[in-house]
Amino acid sequence: MSLMGTTEDDVRSFLISLVPPGRHQTNLAVFTVIMLICVLVLTLPFAHIYLSHTEVFVPAYAAAVFVNELITTTLLLVLYSVQRSTAVLALSMGYLFSGLLIIPWAVTFPDVFAQLRLPDTGLQSTVWIAISRRLGFPLFILAYLMIRDDALSIRKPFHRVRRAIIGSITGISFLVGGICLIVFTSDDALPEIMRDARNISSLWQYVPATALLLYAICLITLWRRRRSLLDLWLMVVLCTLIFEVILLSYLGGGLRLSVGWWSGRFFGFVSATVILLVLLSETTLLYARLARSIAAERRTRESRLTAMEALSATIAHEINQPLASMITNADAGVRWLQKSKPDLEETRTALERIVRDGHRAGKVVESVRSMFRKGTQERGPVDLNGLIAEVLRCSQSEVTIGHVTLQTEVDKQLPLVTGNQIQLQQVVWNLISNAIDSMRPVTDRARVLRVSCKRQNRDAVLFSIEDTGIGMTLDDKNQIFEPFYTTKSDGMGMGLMFCRAIIESHGGQLWMKENIPHGTIFLFTLPGADEILPDMRAST
Amino acid sequence: MTDEQTIVFIIDDDISVRESLTSLMRSVGHAAESFESTHDFLMSERPEGPACIVLDVRLPGQSGLEFQRETAGLGIHLPIIFISGHGDIPMSVSAMKAGAIEFLTKPFRDQDLLDAVHRGIELDRKCKRDQARLDGLQQRYQGLTPREQEVMALVVNGQLNKQIAAELHLSEVTVKAHRAQVMHKMKAKSLPDLVRFADRLDLVIPKH
Repeated sequence: MSLMGTTEDDVRSFLISLVPPGRHQTNLAVFTVIMLICVLVLTLPFAHIYLSHTEVFVPAYAAAVFVNELITTTLLLVLYSVQRSTAVLALSMGYLFSGLLIIPWAVTFPDVFAQLRLPDTGLQSTVWIAISRRLGFPLFILAYLMIRDDALSIRKPFHRVRRAIIGSITGISFLVGGICLIVFTSDDALPEIMRDARNISSLWQYVPATALLLYAICLITLWRRRRSLLDLWLMVVLCTLIFEVILLSYLGGGLRLSVGWWSGRFFGFVSATVILLVLLSETTLLYARLARSIAAERRTRESRLTAMEALSATIAHEINQPLASMITNADAGVRWLQKSKPDLEETRTALERIVRDGHRAGKVVESVRSMFRKGTQERGPVDLNGLIAEVLRCSQSEVTIGHVTLQTEVDKQLPLVTGNQIQLQQVVWNLISNAIDSMRPVTDRARVLRVSCKRQNRDAVLFSIEDTGIGMTLDDKNQIFEPFYTTKSDGMGMGLMFCRAIIESHGGQLWMKENIPHGTIFLFTLPGADEILPDMRAST
Repeated sequence: MTDEQTIVFIIDDDISVRESLTSLMRSVGHAAESFESTHDFLMSERPEGPACIVLDVRLPGQSGLEFQRETAGLGIHLPIIFISGHGDIPMSVSAMKAGAIEFLTKPFRDQDLLDAVHRGIELDRKCKRDQARLDGLQQRYQGLTPREQEVMALVVNGQLNKQIAAELHLSEVTVKAHRAQVMHKMKAKSLPDLVRFADRLDLVIPKH
């Protein structure tokens, strides 16, 4: 499994454009459609009733649809900037297109803005804008369905994503502007669809038919694919759009401001809102999930730290005790000898005690070492790329909270190394969290954490981690690997010592150097698996 | 007085530390007694002689610092030298504030410890000597008759024989005799001597 593979899977499980719909979601979608059908049926008997002077509600309706579709556009663009799939970009542009066109539609609606004394754009403008909007939106959905780049292109650099967003928005704005321009300036040249402000001509019948055809194509494609939560709810949107057309054009008899027409508008509003609600609720759920996982991760990290500190303190005390008495015994021995009449018996006893205490200290060291050895017995082939990805995943919250830009450079052809997965993971984790900590005080430059892992020569792997943190003084550099030496106010000074011990026990080396112009680089090498265990390779 | 046997009480839960410290103390001529816990120390019968305590901060049960507070309450005024496994600054500050002689981190230089022990013993010696003197003085003062005690109080208050005689309704000759007895019994060579004794005894000077 490569580094990118793991990250991809993680992101996949969170984006609504990638996560498959659950049973609960499907049920909810079906329920929504059933409710909408009920509304449709209930409207049937009254569809032809004309509600006079209700054009005053048209601007409110248009404003609500405009705001909802614009927010949906924004949220979809955010989704695009994370997933970087052009399909999502196309969908978001569909919402933008639809949202922008509702404004000229409302403005040109007969009698709505009469008081404003706008220049008369002609009888046909409103309906032609409505047609562009109605036929345009499904085309964007079709584009969403046709563009199949869903292999998560997360590596697409952000500046390209930004350029794509700006370009698309500009394009759509020009498109909408162009449509308005054509419609307003050539009202007379356009085919006549409205006979008067309320009634349609026979030419109209082709429009809903085309729209329904487009909706049906989209719906069928979505039904056959139906792979994400977004797909599921887009199907609901298409259903509402179909109901809208049915109500507006057939049941309402094409009569503007009738009950059928207004309930069609209601469905139009629902269609503009469904995706928005889904995106918002998913975001809130995600947020809760994120908060929970950060809390859990912090707890794990803290408990791991405390355990390590307690262990270190115990080891230190256990070694210090015999050491202190050895020194005192030696001092006493010297003093017995320095007496005017040297007391050899006392000196001998003191020396014997030194021997005994020396062995005691040795036993402590031995037990610490065997503790490490217990872990090292469980060695096996380790994929460093996977390991780094795992650690980066765990430190994701620290990276985000610390406003750190993470850069990774991996070599897909990295040889496996032989070692203890957990120990090596702790080393990488330790180095990364040190790097992030060192960048915490930095405010005047970018905080960049750069993790790279590459083949050093034929069989060795070189891992490096660079930060742009505060760097180290000469004193730090000389002592940073010493036990109990720390530059942190709350550190035990054991981390790097353990790291070095682990790397060396794996036959590698750990060292540090300055990062130019700011920060520190920690590097370690590990021999490739075949170098240490030729027999293991032969046996597998 | 200086050839009196000095003694160091060592309280540490680690036998190696106890043994090595005992040996070190004996090598410079102190007697040493070691205890595994403060409880053992308090239960033991302690020989007389100038002494001090070398105490490990971290002990099972009662910690060194608690012990320091408790001994003050028990009327044990032995100077304490703390030794600790790891230098803990807040701990050492509170120990020093409570009157410890020294706070040493293991492993320490033997000379540092011996210097501290020496200072502790000297302090205790002085304490004990002062206490012994005070005890003697107290005894002598108790040997005075009530009348003599009255006279002494007035004498050290700076009154003349005549005034004392008037105050106690005695003849001047009698006062003189009492006064001579006081000087003799208190072993005071001069009036300033007597005043110093009175001061040390914290005699309440009768108010007029």
